[in-house]
Amino acid sequence: MGYILWIVPIIGILLLTAVKDKKLFPIISVAKASILLIAAIFITRTVMLQGKVSYKNLQGLLYIDSVSIIALDIVVVIGLLSAIYSINYLNLELLHGKIDIKRLKLYYILMDTFIYTMVLALTVNNMGIMWIAIEATTLASAFLVGFYNDKEAIEGTWKYVIICSVGIGVAFLGIILLQLSSIGVLKEANFLQWTNLYENATALKPSILKLAFIFLLVGFGTKAGLAPMHTWLPDAHSQAPSPISALLSGVLLNSAMYGIIRMVSIVNKGLGESIFTGRLLISLGVLSIGTSAIFIITQKDYKRLLAYSSIEHMGIIAIAIGLFTPASIFAALFHMINHSATKAMLFFSSGNILQKYETKDIGKIKNLLKILPVSGFVFFAGIFAIAGTPPFSVFASEFNVILSIFNNHNFILGGVVIGFISIIFVGIAMTLFKMFYGTSPEHLIPGDINIPGEIVMVCMLIFILITGIYMPLQVKGLLLSAEKIIIGG
Amino acid sequence: MENYLAALSLLILFSAFVLMANKRIKSYIATIRVQSIFIAIAVGIEGAKSLKTTGHFDILLVCVLIIAFKVIYIPRLLHRTYGKVEYRVAKDFFLNIPILILICCLLVVFSYFTLSTVEGINTGESNVQMVNSISIVLIGMFFMISRKKAIGQIVGFLVIENGLFVTALFSTKGMPLIIDIGIFIDLITAVMIMGIISFKINEKFDSIDTNKLKNLRG
Repeated sequence: MGYILWIVPIIGILLLTAVKDKKLFPIISVAKASILLIAAIFITRTVMLQGKVSYKNLQGLLYIDSVSIIALDIVVVIGLLSAIYSINYLNLELLHGKIDIKRLKLYYILMDTFIYTMVLALTVNNMGIMWIAIEATTLASAFLVGFYNDKEAIEGTWKYVIICSVGIGVAFLGIILLQLSSIGVLKEANFLQWTNLYENATALKPSILKLAFIFLLVGFGTKAGLAPMHTWLPDAHSQAPSPISALLSGVLLNSAMYGIIRMVSIVNKGLGESIFTGRLLISLGVLSIGTSAIFIITQKDYKRLLAYSSIEHMGIIAIAIGLFTPASIFAALFHMINHSATKAMLFFSSGNILQKYETKDIGKIKNLLKILPVSGFVFFAGIFAIAGTPPFSVFASEFNVILSIFNNHNFILGGVVIGFISIIFVGIAMTLFKMFYGTSPEHLIPGDINIPGEIVMVCMLIFILITGIYMPLQVKGLLLSAEKIIIGG
Repeated sequence: MENYLAALSLLILFSAFVLMANKRIKSYIATIRVQSIFIAIAVGIEGAKSLKTTGHFDILLVCVLIIAFKVIYIPRLLHRTYGKVEYRVAKDFFLNIPILILICCLLVVFSYFTLSTVEGINTGESNVQMVNSISIVLIGMFFMISRKKAIGQIVGFLVIENGLFVTALFSTKGMPLIIDIGIFIDLITAVMIMGIISFKINEKFDSIDTNKLKNLRG
């Protein structure tokens, strides 16, 4: 069952390169994403029952446990949703003459490759191959970021490729050091296997392990958008087509964070304490939240604002992982799910706004709720959700993170985080609420575009409403078992 | 054999210094090719050793890959990109060369002092080679900062990759083969993508000066 995740996307990509009819591209893409979703559901069930999915062949390369299945489900679900959303989004771009059929085909091929690389990164046991897959995500999404081919898009792509490639290079130094610390402990066939490293973590050389963690944190932190390595993120997120922004923000950042989580659990077990990793992660996290607070207050571009908000939420997750208590890890994983759903929904609706108004400038957008009733409403609710207002699920997980900070007697940290989050709330309210008032330009006809996309958005809105109030017992069990895997014991 | 490897590790470091002192893009490409040749020789020696002792020939396979891609294909690709985009010669760096070289020396000293404090790494010979190779990574990063042209930054990225590769070779006696091959695929696609983007930068901005990329701020 697990190998379906590896084989079906390749077949899909090959089919996409072969066909020429433009109507077939979205059909193949959505079909592939649906098969992935069905496979993921079955694997999730197996993981819930047996704890993990792994096979003997290929040296146990495929390995899925509760931690990876949470991240994997996010990838697969958001991948399917953005494939559905893309259909009408791109048809409209085609109609307006912004792209031609050749680029349409390139878009679907690259989007599926991008999703595939992330699936690969989350399902392998080998840290080295995980690194390769995370590097490949940059390469697959480079031309998606620069899809519109204008000056700004090219600039965003250049920054994205250069900063992320160098960052990931630094992470590779960490992987080398990780292997160096395990020489003499592991057999050659088991080099860099996460399960083996984790089992023998206490035998690894602690001083090299510390050095390896610093490099890996900087490297994967670049990809996860932690400040001060975040500079590529707002540029790439604002320039990419909206479904790609949703994937970048909702899925890619999680995949990089997943790499950090895996490394943290090895290092903490090896060192026997979490102070070292905690200090680094918490300081980067606080810096991220602070940076995003400053930039959100002065922001004039709504897609950039959403990008900075992603930096904030990654910072919150980093702090929660840094604390490394059972409650905080639980909250971090829960926050990953909620942030992905909410942010992807916001980027989808911002795509509709962009296509209707043809501007990213907050000041030029007026009377949003009248011009775009459904997308406007989803955007309105999404702003509240992402800022952390009840009853939405981001509030629930953010509240849990802050609660675990205070339970850990970290009062100064808790105060600082609450302060920054309230600044961000005010910033979002001040800047984005202008979009809902005023009189709209006369040439805009009220009415929605992209009906399938709107259905997707409304479903996501309902999802984040439900998870804010109620969590099914199975999901809770999955999160708890993931928390046990990370913390150990 | 160990003497040759130590000498080669120094030569690779030295070629990074030479690269820093280069003024023209054509000489960057020549220097990066020479550096890759040195790496290929070092990998060849390691491969021969492992063939003799354990009978594995996967390191020799990596050596062939290096010759095919890093020595022949990538420099050619860079030449082609350069031929498409460059039509005037302009000064490419912020600081003058003696200062750049001096900073590179400081980087080597820095990595020496950092690594000598880490327990477990500083065991004789591998320590010196590790210092050399991590210095190459740092010099590669500094090269990217010091050059303004897009191709200069691609070359800097290649130096970083070379440094990482040498670090892996000298400290761990090579990574597992599948990882090496994956890294090669990633590297080649990365360089190709960067080449295409620098071509597009040239198209839209009328030069490959990355200082002109200043539209996105705040």
